Formats: sequence, C-alpha cells, structure tokens
Amino acid sequence: MLSRLYAWLDSRLKLEPVKETLLDEPIPGGASWIYVFGSATLFLFFLQAITGMFLAVYYAPTPDHAYDSIRYIETQVLFGPFVRGLHHWGASAMVVAIGLHMLQVFLYGAYKPPRELMWMVGVLLLLLTMGFAFTGYLLPWDQNAYWATQVGINMVGSVPFVGTFLVRVMRGGDTLGALTLSRFFAVHILFLPAAIMVLIALHMFILRRVGPAGPWSKERAAQSREAFYPRQVFMDAVVMLGVFLVVVMLALLVPFPLTDKANPSDHNFIPVPEWYFLFYYQFLKYMEGPVLGPIATWVLPGAFIALLLALPFLDPHHEREPASRPLVLGVGAAFLVGVFVLIGLSVRDLQAMKRTDPAVVSGKALYERFGCMGCHRIHGEGGAVGPDLSYVGDQRDRDWLIKHFRDPQSTSPGSIMPKFPLNDQELNDLTAYMLSLKKRV
Amino acid sequence: MTSPEHTDTPSGSRRSFFTWLIGAAAGLIGISLAVPLSGYVASPALKRRERQWVDAGPASDLPVGEPTQRDLVMTVTDGYMEGAAVKGIWALRQATNEVTVYSPICTHLGCGFRWDGSARRFKCPCHGSEFDLDGKVVGGPAPRPLDRLPVKIENGHLLVQYKEFKSGTTQQIEI
Repeated sequence: MLSRLYAWLDSRLKLEPVKETLLDEPIPGGASWIYVFGSATLFLFFLQAITGMFLAVYYAPTPDHAYDSIRYIETQVLFGPFVRGLHHWGASAMVVAIGLHMLQVFLYGAYKPPRELMWMVGVLLLLLTMGFAFTGYLLPWDQNAYWATQVGINMVGSVPFVGTFLVRVMRGGDTLGALTLSRFFAVHILFLPAAIMVLIALHMFILRRVGPAGPWSKERAAQSREAFYPRQVFMDAVVMLGVFLVVVMLALLVPFPLTDKANPSDHNFIPVPEWYFLFYYQFLKYMEGPVLGPIATWVLPGAFIALLLALPFLDPHHEREPASRPLVLGVGAAFLVGVFVLIGLSVRDLQAMKRTDPAVVSGKALYERFGCMGCHRIHGEGGAVGPDLSYVGDQRDRDWLIKHFRDPQSTSPGSIMPKFPLNDQELNDLTAYMLSLKKRV
Repeated sequence: MTSPEHTDTPSGSRRSFFTWLIGAAAGLIGISLAVPLSGYVASPALKRRERQWVDAGPASDLPVGEPTQRDLVMTVTDGYMEGAAVKGIWALRQATNEVTVYSPICTHLGCGFRWDGSARRFKCPCHGSEFDLDGKVVGGPAPRPLDRLPVKIENGHLLVQYKEFKSGTTQQIEI
C-alpha cells in the first residue's frame, strides 16, 4: 500500500533522486556513534518547538496573567506539568547536546577548511539558542524569572556608549514590565524560531555541499565509505530515543516549581540562573569593580564569541589529528576545566546558602499537620482569615511567637486562633519555621 | 552517489531490519508525544464545570405565590481568571413553603423574561412567549416550559445551583 503510494508520488514528483541525495550521502570512514550529537541537537530543537507550541495554547504574555496561566498549566491542565517539564528539561538537554556537538567538532578539527562556514553558522546557532534561553526564562513571570532577567538586562547596560539605549530597547522603556514581557514573548516564539530555522537550513545545506568531515586520520577515512542510510540514521534514531527517554524521566520525576509571582518592589530576592549560566554567574562574582566588572559583562563575552567565530581562520592548518594540535586543544581543555570548576564552586555556594535547619523542616510539617493554612497564607497559599505569614519572621521575635502559640489570646486579644496542643519541642520547631519566613534568607 | 564497491552499506534484509528499527524508534517517540499532547489540548473540554450552591438570600422573605427576582452572585472561573457574575433568577414560594426557582432565560431564544403581576404571567418581550406560575407555556413560540434550577433551603437561606440550557429545543439540554 505504502510502496504503491510512493510509486504514484515518485512518478509525478520524481522523488528517487531526492531520496538518494538525502539518504545515500557517503560518510568517510563509515557510520559512527561519535557523529550523533548534531542530530540529537536537531531532535531536541523539534521537541522544544512542539512543546513550545503547546505551551502557547494556554500561556498569556501579560504581567497580569502570565504567572496565573503557568500555574493553570501546572495544576489544572491534563499532562500540563509533563509538557512544561519536557520544555524545561528539553532546553537543558539541548544545551548539553550542543556542548557535546561542538566538543566533537572541535576535537576532530571538523571546523577546519573547507568547513569554516558550517562552524560559523553553528556558532550563530549557539547564540540563538542562548537567546531562546534568555527570553524564555522571563516568561513564567515568577520572582526568579523577573530578577534573573533584570540582572541579565543590566549586564547589557555596561556596554559603552550604546549600553543604556540597548537596555531601554530590551525592556521596551524604563522598567521591566508589560512591554518587556510581550517583546520577550514575541522574540521567543516568533523572531528566534524564524531565524533559527533559516540558520539550521543553512547549516544542513553547507553540510550537504561540503560533506561530513569523517575521522581525523586520512587512512581511516579511506578505509571504508558507507552511506548515511541506514546505519548512521539508525544510530541517530537510537540516540534520539535515548535522549527523549531521559527528558521524559526528568519531566516526570524532577518537578520544576514556580517561585512566587514576580514582585517588582521586592529588591531582596536573589535570583539564580539556569545551571548552564552558572559558570558565568560565578565568574561575575569574582569580577567586581569599575574595571573588572565591564570586562566580565561584555569585553570577555564579546571576545569569546569573536574568537569562536574566527577559530577556523586562527587555526587554518589542514592537519586534523589531535596529537598535532596541542596548543588549540590545550586552550580548549583549559576553558572546559575553567567552566566546570566555576560550575562546581557555584553549586557549592548555592548549597551552602540553602541549607535548612531541621527544626524549620519539622516546623513546616507541623504547620501542615495542624492545618494552619486553613486561616493563614504564605506566599499566596492558604486562607485569608488570619494574618499573612509570608514574612512573619521579619515582624515577630522568638519570645512573642512562643507566647502566642502557648496562648494566642495573650498576645493578640480577640484572636479566634485556637490553642494547639504543642509540646516544647513542637513549639520550638514551629517557632523556628515562622522565624525562617523572611524576605532575606 | 552510490557505487558497487560500497559494501559497508547494509543491503537486503539487513537494510530492511535497520529501516524497521528506525521506524520503531520514531513511532515510539511519536506516540509518547501524541497521547499526552492530545490530552493536554483537550483538557478543558474534558472538565465538567463544578456546580456551586449559591446563596440567594433568606427564603422566609419570599412572598407566597408571587414570583420574586433574586440576584445570584457567583464566582465564575474562566481558565486562570476569576470574576464575579450576577444572574437574576426567579424564585416562587409555594403555599407549602417549597420554593421553585426558574432560570431567567426564555426557553425560546434566550431572552430575559419579566413577571407581569396583573396578568399573572411571565412574559418574554422578544417574541411574546408567555408562561404561567408553574412555568407552563401559555402563549407564544416557546417550545418548552421554563427551566427549573436545583434548589435547597439551608439555615433559612435559599441556595440555588445555576445552570444554563439550550434554547429553542423541546427537550431540556444542559450546556
């Protein structure tokens, strides 16, 4: 049935040569598992595109509704957390896949002539992906999104002469608000996808015109020549399935909760960027001051991008064997080590910051066990009968809280809060939890 | 592109086997995405609106045998938005103290009708449908009696579940 349909189409559209071009491209040295990262990246791009389209079914890009619409996806929509999880973890996976793809190309010297253009388009694709990451991060409009974007935009402000103007263009005015959100949304779902599709097509076109690089040794490349189909396609498919399953597992098992709704007046919130920006986030901590600051925020990033784009011309020798390229590979390795050390330091700092007192944990459990949220509200969760406890740690001290829990009437005459049967340990834990509810942790 | 010496490229049944495996991997990914994504899009259509009992004021104030309009103030959830909606239902206390509540929407084409005290009839201004106290059609084009809403009395208060029905049909069909 299918073959008859194909024959019918082929007799009209002359598909056979197209099929040959697409599938019978020879791979020097034969198919290999080391060539799968490009197609894995492409697969993840399609996964992002599909999940993104579906997220847009419910998402509303206005400060009034963005947060609520994401909460609606998380709590009310069938498979909502799963679809959002796929998009979130798919983004991380795409960064990993691009990293591995670039590493392979770098190690194999595949950026060298005649493949300079393919590498340069690849660098532009990397920049577009970073653009996706940056614009997408704001869209949930929670505290982390708002303040992380604030920091990101402010970094652009350090560029001399045009910085201030660029910041105003990015924000759509003086403040990060409604206009920022809608332009970030438009860039994320319309402008960047259009640009990335053109560049992906160009990347593939160059690949097909120049051909894949194959192994670095000419002898190995000459040993065998195998068509792209079926073994390389099979390897790509296996890896895509594997990557897909990993992203599915992450989406199902690792929740990606929203923080509180963005509050532009809360200047105490400390945003944390996505893990793939952590190395840079950590680096910025060491680069403070009027000289080092701008170096870190725009001189080095600019130089790094320029270096990446120019790499094929800075290292133009046709020799691709890693052993004969110690300098370039050494610089590359040093950069990678630097990145991983910075990520490690950053994770260590973040963990140190987030360590919670066990008394706070059991106090929180008591809060839930006694149903305190029936009357009290913390960060938008719970009833509105009693006072909002979101920042009660800033308002009350330990003695007041203990006295209050023993007998609410003694500190708040007329309160309808009942006396709860708490022993000393529980009293202490609940108080510790209340004291932890502060604007600045 | 291919030439006979390309012996490394699988052919024959080996090639078909690879084709089959590639198809299986693609199919698995496709189905694992298609099922949740379909549910995701259809999700709001699968949900039945939750009917809430809305307080329509004290039942004892209602005059016996004289329809009275009462406002139902409801919280209406529209996706991730919440708003208030006011619906003016018609409540009629019987001599037995039972209360009948009519939907304020004419069963003909959905206009709002009025109580004409002198004629002792509900009259729809749009197309002249008329209903008696029991909601029966006594004139005009209305295809069925007035729609009754679920009602109960708790602590002396009239509680009503607001519903809407398709207009223009002889059968009462909830929407």
